[in-house]
Amino acid sequence: MLELLARSLEASTIFLFAALGELVDQRAGVLNVGLEGLMLSGGTLAFIAAQLTRDYLLGFLAALAVGALLGAAHGFFAITLRGDQVVSGMGLWILSFGLTTYIGNPYTGPLGLERIGTWLGLSPFVYLAVLLVGTTWFLLFRTGVGLAIRSAGEHPGAAEVSGINVGAVRYLCVTFGGMLAGLAGAVYSLSYNPVWNYNFLMGWGFVSLALVFFSMWNPWLLLAGATLFAAMWQLSLSPELVLPGILSRYIWRALPFAITIVILALISAPWFRTRWGLAKPEALGRPYGG
Amino acid sequence: MTTSVEPAGGQPFLAARGITKRFPGVLALDRVDLEVDAGRVHAVLGQNGAGKTTLMNVLFGLVQPDEGAVYLRGRRVSIRSPHDALALGIGMVHQTRRLVAAHTVLENLLLGHPQARGLLNPRRARREVEALCARYGIALDLGARVWQLSEGEKQWVEILKALYLGARILILDEPTSVLTPPEVERLLAGLRTLVREQGVTVLLVTHKLPIVMALSDTVTVLRAGRVVARLPTREATEERLVAHMIGRDIAPPHLTEAAGGERPALLRVEELAAYNDKGVLALRGVSFALRAGEILGIAGVTGNGQEELVQVLAGLRPPAGGRVLLDGAEATWWPPLERWRRGIGYIPAERVEVASIAPFTLVENTALTFHFDPAFTPRALLDYPGLERLTREILTTYAVRAPHPHVPAQHLSGGNLQKLILGRVLARRPRVLLAHLPTQGLDVEAAAFVRGRLLDARAAGAGVLLVSEDLDEILSLSDRVAPIYEGRLVAVLPRAEAHPEMVGAMMAGWRREAAARS
Amino acid sequence: MRVGPYLLTVEPRRTSSPLHGVLTAVVAIVVALVLSSVLFLPAEGGPLHAYRVVFAYAFADRYGFLATVHRAIYLLLCTFAFLVPFRAGLWNIGLPSQVYAGGLAAFAVPALLGGPDLTTPPVAPGLLVLVMAVAGVVGGAVLAAVAGLLRARLNVNEILVTMMLNSIFFWLVAYMIKEGGPFMSATGEGEGFSLPSFLYAPLWAGVPVTALLAVGAAVLLDGLFARTALGYRIRAFGLNPQAARYGGIDPLTLPILVFVVGGAFGGLAGYHYFAAVPGVYKIPGNYGYYGDLAFYGIICALIARGSGVGAVPVALLFAGLSLGARLAQGQLHLPFGVDYALLGLLMMTFVASHVLYQYQPVWRPAAEPAAPPVSADAAEG
Repeated sequence: MLELLARSLEASTIFLFAALGELVDQRAGVLNVGLEGLMLSGGTLAFIAAQLTRDYLLGFLAALAVGALLGAAHGFFAITLRGDQVVSGMGLWILSFGLTTYIGNPYTGPLGLERIGTWLGLSPFVYLAVLLVGTTWFLLFRTGVGLAIRSAGEHPGAAEVSGINVGAVRYLCVTFGGMLAGLAGAVYSLSYNPVWNYNFLMGWGFVSLALVFFSMWNPWLLLAGATLFAAMWQLSLSPELVLPGILSRYIWRALPFAITIVILALISAPWFRTRWGLAKPEALGRPYGG
Repeated sequence: MTTSVEPAGGQPFLAARGITKRFPGVLALDRVDLEVDAGRVHAVLGQNGAGKTTLMNVLFGLVQPDEGAVYLRGRRVSIRSPHDALALGIGMVHQTRRLVAAHTVLENLLLGHPQARGLLNPRRARREVEALCARYGIALDLGARVWQLSEGEKQWVEILKALYLGARILILDEPTSVLTPPEVERLLAGLRTLVREQGVTVLLVTHKLPIVMALSDTVTVLRAGRVVARLPTREATEERLVAHMIGRDIAPPHLTEAAGGERPALLRVEELAAYNDKGVLALRGVSFALRAGEILGIAGVTGNGQEELVQVLAGLRPPAGGRVLLDGAEATWWPPLERWRRGIGYIPAERVEVASIAPFTLVENTALTFHFDPAFTPRALLDYPGLERLTREILTTYAVRAPHPHVPAQHLSGGNLQKLILGRVLARRPRVLLAHLPTQGLDVEAAAFVRGRLLDARAAGAGVLLVSEDLDEILSLSDRVAPIYEGRLVAVLPRAEAHPEMVGAMMAGWRREAAARS
Repeated sequence: MRVGPYLLTVEPRRTSSPLHGVLTAVVAIVVALVLSSVLFLPAEGGPLHAYRVVFAYAFADRYGFLATVHRAIYLLLCTFAFLVPFRAGLWNIGLPSQVYAGGLAAFAVPALLGGPDLTTPPVAPGLLVLVMAVAGVVGGAVLAAVAGLLRARLNVNEILVTMMLNSIFFWLVAYMIKEGGPFMSATGEGEGFSLPSFLYAPLWAGVPVTALLAVGAAVLLDGLFARTALGYRIRAFGLNPQAARYGGIDPLTLPILVFVVGGAFGGLAGYHYFAAVPGVYKIPGNYGYYGDLAFYGIICALIARGSGVGAVPVALLFAGLSLGARLAQGQLHLPFGVDYALLGLLMMTFVASHVLYQYQPVWRPAAEPAAPPVSADAAEG
């Protein structure tokens, strides 16, 4: 049972990193639906780098680098070219999905390195995650940079006439979001489940995207949501711990996704919608400039 | 025609010389010169589309000129962004609000301020801002969320913000367009204080002559991107300025005598209420009847529930209470399609976002109100050739300037697009016409044209609900005038009783009965 | 950027012709092919030889070409599944789930009649085949309708919903065909049971009748969008939902309708591949591969810029490429996933070509430097 908890906490960091990056991204007004693609790319490159160099650090750095690169590419399309952000995001997803399947194929199988150690029984990423959540919250709500970010996402026109370079702020956020997404993928492929297989994320990226909406763009709520969801997911992997024998294991695997749909529907119901709508960055997804 | 105004000290404080700016397909500014003296109010006057806002955007760094340069105190300066402008002490308050509605007043003031680099220190910022408020005589609740403020208060937040960022030159772009008459008075008084007691220089951009005459020291007139006059205000008269602005006379449309006798009520509205997008009750029980062959003018400043009223009547917003009756039939919950079919025509205020589809051709835009019409949908197909014929008719009748009916609507200028929309709606011969800010942003010619067509609809027996912020427009077109304030109609007055000062006061909340009681 | 006396900038393109659209599509595909030659570098004989193998098998070989056609029909149907909601501005990325749902629904018919033990048709086999096909269509349509309904009534993001459904149905199929599920084959090898021969879809020259449906749909869809009132409404809604609502177009029924139609195509695609393609006739253990293949439909629709007829050659090309690449992968000992990589590259070049489509380089005479300051009067006239 304790093992389950530790595993689920580690899983929650994966959701959390990706979702946190996307939260910052969306607070600045940029929507990146290709989150899954960035995670896949980060995870794959991290796996390859770590296996080739037998060094975890290089693996994580590779993930951060490729995440930043893809994030910046998305930024270029969305900010400089003022293109449709959904098209760009979908493009990044399919691009990553396709290329990582090919590039990672020779590395299919276990990582083959000694597992990353734990501190006090928990993966080090759990501590990193809490730290990041706290830092992000502080940055967004207690610093001038955070005010600029939030304003860029609510009313970029207001930010611009206040002398803020909206484009630069958004680029920063989208790159940061990309880095975190890459990190999330690396945590999965290097620590949580260090066995590479194509499309290893199986939809986690999209769940992270949903988590951002659930959290109403509040980092602490995101932490709670990621933890809950990961616990649910971990449970679905080993249902015999709680409800032995009931339902095929395949049905259990499908359950978290079904629950996500239900939650999405619930938070969109009219009595909840106004509150949610007020929390949403006003300019999310809309290109600025011209 | 011109008089040289000797600047104090020989050099103008702020000058722009030879400013030229081209946008795709249009020359917005053509070798424009501007000279502003310190500590004075300089008005830039012109119609919509004359280039005033573009010129100000150049001064504020939002737009880079193709040619020309800006000089501050005789020295040439480069303004490549609002950041540069603010560093030089140039601040701008735009026509549309540039505030983050969800944040507090203080947060908006802090945005972009050097104070706000690194950690935010709300307490210190609050002290500094309060001192500033006292110095300039401005009263504001710093903890309020901006969406809770009135339009006038929001504008003062923006002015204060510019001053807090160190602006000594304040550019105001059409500041009075969203204010009630009393708020306008407060603004003018406040600006006079700023200029006379604090030495702030004000550049006032407007198309409203009374404001120019009341506040400015010097006025520069722009027409079609060129400077056509520059003179001290004391030497100017309204007629001369109008002549400069337009270049010739435009006869205003005038109301013919209303048909006598009782006309049938087409539309009856009873205690209609509605919520706005933020969940606040914006419309609080409005009742009136719209009769055939009349124009009922709803006079009010944006944000008093008119938008919600029109949207409920058009079927685009659910009512929170009350009823709507068309010819006695219960129309409260009809969807937009049903309303079009029953003869209600709607001209929205947002011509680009709601009334038209930018990438669609003009023919396809015409189809927007005809795709359900049996005359144009034989056997589930859409009669594109028939629609093209109709579109050509509209283009001619309404003098819409477009190369052919298959250009995308985004190629049309605002005035031409509005004429197309008007033509398309009127082609359905609606019995009830809902016109929401129909002449907003149009130049004088186009506005006069639109007003003329509204009068034509009235003459043809339609009931027209005209919702406008322009008191002159309401007074010149309406048979009855109904000022609206905070979601309620203050009164419904026949034209003869609608005196401009009284209506203006009603738009700001003054009520006859209350005054009579006191 | 200054070049001599001229200024070169980039501006949004104001008008575009259909020819232009075709050109950018061709450029995108060509560039992707060129880029993917990198994938073929480790092949025995080099990239050029690899390409020759790919195209020879896909288009010149009798069996290869037949397989290409089968796959092209599948991709074409997937393309339509994405295309119809896309023209309404909605993203139906639930193509795999609709394919799976279609397959499951179609196979439910024989399953109810005995499954692996079905040896003689209880009624006319032609009727049963028809029922299977219809079941497939309905299965996909109903599933997609869920996403459409959630989007229309509650404004739930359809990308998230359809992606969740992808995962849910992936596991649902696994449940059905593996480890004792109801559709498991008699041999219990982790795959679905095979169709009895009397339930095979009619063939013509080796091509199942679904080809007719696919090509017919291509023509009908183009006609729908260009000529009908409904097509107009879909297009209007896709470009500006607010204006569409203003014009009386119902924002509730339209999303549901386009998703139902899209899902129907997806379900038909599932029926086609699992129940109508010779050599398959079951839900295979590697069904996930076909689900992934469905994503090609997205790119096909984007490159064809929403045209049904335009999607036909693109689908043929993609089908041939992915098949040929699979073969080349085996023959030339390439790593697994060449066709996936191609998918990714095509998407990337499409997005890049989309930029080309939207912008154009503009030459303008450079501005003269500003004249020195003169302290003269500003007014004229």
